Amino acid sequence: MASGKKAKKGRSGKPVLTRKRGVPWLAIGAVAAVLALGVTIGVVVLSTTSYSPSASNQDPSLQIDGIYAKPKLYQSALHVQSTQRVDYDRYPPVGGPHDGYWAACNGVVYLVAMRDENMVHTLEHGAIWIAYNPDTIAPGDLDILTGLVQGQQFMVMSPYPTLATHPISLQAWGHQLQVDSASDERVQQFITALRRNPYVYPEIGATCDQPTFPTTDIPAELRFDPSPRGADTIPLDGGDLAADSSEMPAASTSGSAAAGG
Amino acid sequence: MVALAALAAVVLLAIGGTAGYLLSSNRSGQVVPASGSVDAGFAQDMIVHHRQGVLMAHLAEIHSDDPEMQRYAYDMAHTQTAQVGQMEGWLVLWGLPEIGVGAHMAWMTVGGHQHGGSADAPLATTGLMPGMATDKELSRLESLRGKDSDVYFLQLMIRHHEGGTPMMQYAGAHSANQVVRNFAAQMLTTQSTEVTDMTNMLAARGAKPLDYTAPILPGG
Repeated sequence: MASGKKAKKGRSGKPVLTRKRGVPWLAIGAVAAVLALGVTIGVVVLSTTSYSPSASNQDPSLQIDGIYAKPKLYQSALHVQSTQRVDYDRYPPVGGPHDGYWAACNGVVYLVAMRDENMVHTLEHGAIWIAYNPDTIAPGDLDILTGLVQGQQFMVMSPYPTLATHPISLQAWGHQLQVDSASDERVQQFITALRRNPYVYPEIGATCDQPTFPTTDIPAELRFDPSPRGADTIPLDGGDLAADSSEMPAASTSGSAAAGG
Repeated sequence: MVALAALAAVVLLAIGGTAGYLLSSNRSGQVVPASGSVDAGFAQDMIVHHRQGVLMAHLAEIHSDDPEMQRYAYDMAHTQTAQVGQMEGWLVLWGLPEIGVGAHMAWMTVGGHQHGGSADAPLATTGLMPGMATDKELSRLESLRGKDSDVYFLQLMIRHHEGGTPMMQYAGAHSANQVVRNFAAQMLTTQSTEVTDMTNMLAARGAKPLDYTAPILPGG
């Protein structure tokens, strides 16, 4: 104790910083450098821990291990007939041409496997689609997933019998994440990052309500079709559906807008 | 002395880190735009343009007997209503009126600078904005039923989408807010493909789009 007091006295008797004359540039510089370092660390910490999308962090899902993210690869707003099938690049599909009749995705848990072309439309409206393999999903996981979907806006779930590598697959527009466990923390990260993310889903403001879409007693034409797609399927880029580009204003006038800037 | 300096450095680092964390959590690129700016003009004019689109889509939904057309019109009416709501919300937060004053599209000045004069805004108009239906056309749409309504709705809506294109392009390129630029760009992408889709729907009903060329903003 006594020695402590002594030390303090000794220190206060030597005002090191005020002893020098003039502006203490070295001290100011050191303070500024340390502050700047702190700010940088703060910004970095935030950007690597938040999964909420914002103007400065538009696709937080890119931080998730194992994420597939190519939202610009997929053509939006292109519709196929109820009898047509689309040659998607991955299954469950994550984007591309789809049926104009979107599956209701306002917290609906479908108990049967659903037609891909109706489910893709839910992604265009900003929904998260949780698909699972009913034969390989771990016991208890179905309850966890149901809890994430039931009663939640822009969430939809359905079994997907051909899901092979992992029993659970999450889809958002142009995004996919496959996991083994419903308790995997990446499940919630995916939902936080991508549900209704305005930088990701194409049709800003669109609804998941589809009052005429059946949610029970699903008719055969709205169910998953396990048969291989034939030669008459619509290609991912829309093929003939998108061929009429002469009518597209963006194609004919976008150059002038750029020139205007 | 060394211990004190180290302590000070730790404290400063913590303060800086907290400030950085808070700064970046608020840092969403928001700029409060002034009256007459690109952001204000786009929101005010696109609300007017969209509202007519919503009305036409509602008419198409209740007058059609084709489920495909009813779903299409329902999707469009709901989506554009929600988009109107977003734009109204921005204007409230910006402290600006929902209804603009002066000519429509006067904010689209060539070269991306606002000079305040309509001489630099070649698309400025006090009448209907490009692509919008006249009262006479709306009355006709109201009077039609079934497939006739479907065809006329598609024709009017294709023109409506095409006419709105320059506004979306301009806002997508010149808005001061990332949120608005993204909104305009996403809308442009979606509506461009919808024009293709609606043209296909018209063809399936044995009809063609109206003869219309959207105005092009001159380069400058």
